[in-house]
Amino acid sequence: MKKSILQLPELLSPVGSYESLQAAIQGGADSIYFGVEQLNMRAKSVNAFGVEDLEEISKICKENNIKCYLTLNTVIYDHDIQLAKKIIKEAKKQGVNSIIASDFAIIELCRKEGMPVHISTQANVSNLESVQFFSQAADVIVLARELTLKQVEQICGNIKRKKIKGVSGEKLKIEIFIHGALCMAVSGKCYMSLHTQNASANRGACTQNCRRPYKVTDLETNEELVIDNEYIMSPKDLCTIDILDLVVHTGADVLKIEGRGKSADYVYTVTKCYREALESIREGNYTKDKIARWTEELSTVYNRGFWEGYYLGRKLGEWTPDPGSIATTKKIYIGKSTKYYPKIQVAEFLVESGSIKKGDAIMIIGPKIGVVKEQLDELYVNGVVSNEAKKGDKITLPFKDKLSASDKVYKIVAN
Amino acid sequence: MPRIIHYRGKCIGCNICYEMQADMWRMSKKDGKATLLKAKVKKDIYMLEINNEQVELSKRTANACPVKIIKVL
Repeated sequence: MKKSILQLPELLSPVGSYESLQAAIQGGADSIYFGVEQLNMRAKSVNAFGVEDLEEISKICKENNIKCYLTLNTVIYDHDIQLAKKIIKEAKKQGVNSIIASDFAIIELCRKEGMPVHISTQANVSNLESVQFFSQAADVIVLARELTLKQVEQICGNIKRKKIKGVSGEKLKIEIFIHGALCMAVSGKCYMSLHTQNASANRGACTQNCRRPYKVTDLETNEELVIDNEYIMSPKDLCTIDILDLVVHTGADVLKIEGRGKSADYVYTVTKCYREALESIREGNYTKDKIARWTEELSTVYNRGFWEGYYLGRKLGEWTPDPGSIATTKKIYIGKSTKYYPKIQVAEFLVESGSIKKGDAIMIIGPKIGVVKEQLDELYVNGVVSNEAKKGDKITLPFKDKLSASDKVYKIVAN
Repeated sequence: MPRIIHYRGKCIGCNICYEMQADMWRMSKKDGKATLLKAKVKKDIYMLEINNEQVELSKRTANACPVKIIKVL
C-alpha cells in the first residue's frame, strides 16, 4: 500500500430481482443499480422490474440505508420518450438517487426533471476532456471498461487537482467496474448481435454471439487455421480481487459489480467478497491468503474464468475456454417452501425435483430473505429423522425467518 | 385462416416490425412498445387474422424480431 486510505470507495452491486436486492444488502453493498421496463441494457431479462416496482425498491433501499440508481441507458428512439419521461418522473417521486444514462435525450429529460444523472459506461468516457464535458450534466461518470488503472488514476488525480465539480456543485465522482463480464468490443459500440441477428446490444437485446466458438477458414484454399482456442471473441470475466488495493489507489469513488442478469447467489457472493476485501484494505491486512480464499469463493459462482481485464494493460488473448460458466459449484433446484411454523421457527419444504441427503449444502433464495446458505446436519423427512428425501417428500429444518411459497431451496454441488 | 400472435409484454420497442410492415404495426408513444393494429387483445397477447398474401412478409417480420415474440400461425 503506497498510502493509507481513510475513506473506502462505494461498493455498487447489480440487482435484477427482489432476491438479488436482498442478496446485495446482505453482502454489504453501499448502493445498488437496477433497470425497469425495456429501456435498460438487460431488456431481455425474464424477471425485469416494471415502473410499479420503483416504490418498493426505493423503500427497501432507504430502510437499509443504501442508495439506488436506475439504469436508463439504451439507445433512445422518438417513440421511447414518453415512457422515459414516465420512468424519470416516477423515479424522482419515489426518491431513486439517480439515473444512469448515456443518451443525450435522457440526460436532458433528467435535467428538466431535476433528477441527478450518472453517465453510463455506454458513453465510453475515456479521457479528461469528456469527463469535463459530462460534468456539466452529471455528478458521477462511469469510465469505459477498457482503460488501464494508470489512465483511471490520471483522470481521478486531475479531477482533484483541477477541482472539477459535478452539476450539483459537489466534487465529480468517478465510477469503474471491478468484477463481471467484459465485452470484446468497447461497450456501447458493438453491433455484432445487431448485424447477425437484428438484436441490438445497445437496446439491451445482446445475443452474445461473441461467446460462441468459431473456426477460421481460408476461403481460397478451404484450409482451416489452427487456433488454440475456438472462443476467439469471448474474453474471460473481469476480476480485481487480487489487485483491489491498486484499484482503490486510483482514487475512483465508486466500484461497480456487473451482473443484473445474474442470480441472487452470484450477487451475494461477489458483493460479500469485495466488501471483505475493501475492509481488509482499510484495516491494513489485505493478505495473499485472503485473496486466495476470495478467489476460490468467487469461482463458485457464474464466471468464464478470471483476468484483470484491461486494467493492467495486458493484451487481449485472455479468452474463455467455455461457452458459459466454469463455476466450481452449481445449484440444483430441490423445491419450494410450503409452510412455516413461527413458534418453533421451523420451515417445511416440498421436494419437487431430485433428492437431498443429510450433510448436503443447501441454499435458500427468496425475495424477502435474499440468499441463505445452510449445511443439512440433520434431515427430517415427513416428520422423522432420515438420511435422504426424494421427490414428493416434505422436509423440515430450523429457520429463523418466516418463509413463503416464493422461497426456493437449492442443493449446492460441485460442477 | 392464418394469424399473427404478438406477445406484447416482452417487446423491447426496437422498431423493426414497424419498419417491415408499416401498414400493420405502430410504435406506441405511450409505452414505447409495438402495437399490432386492428388486433384482438387478450391478457396483453395480440392476435390478428391475416390473408394468405400477408403470410410470407409477416413470417419475415416475425423472424426479424430480436426477442422472438411475434408468431405467424
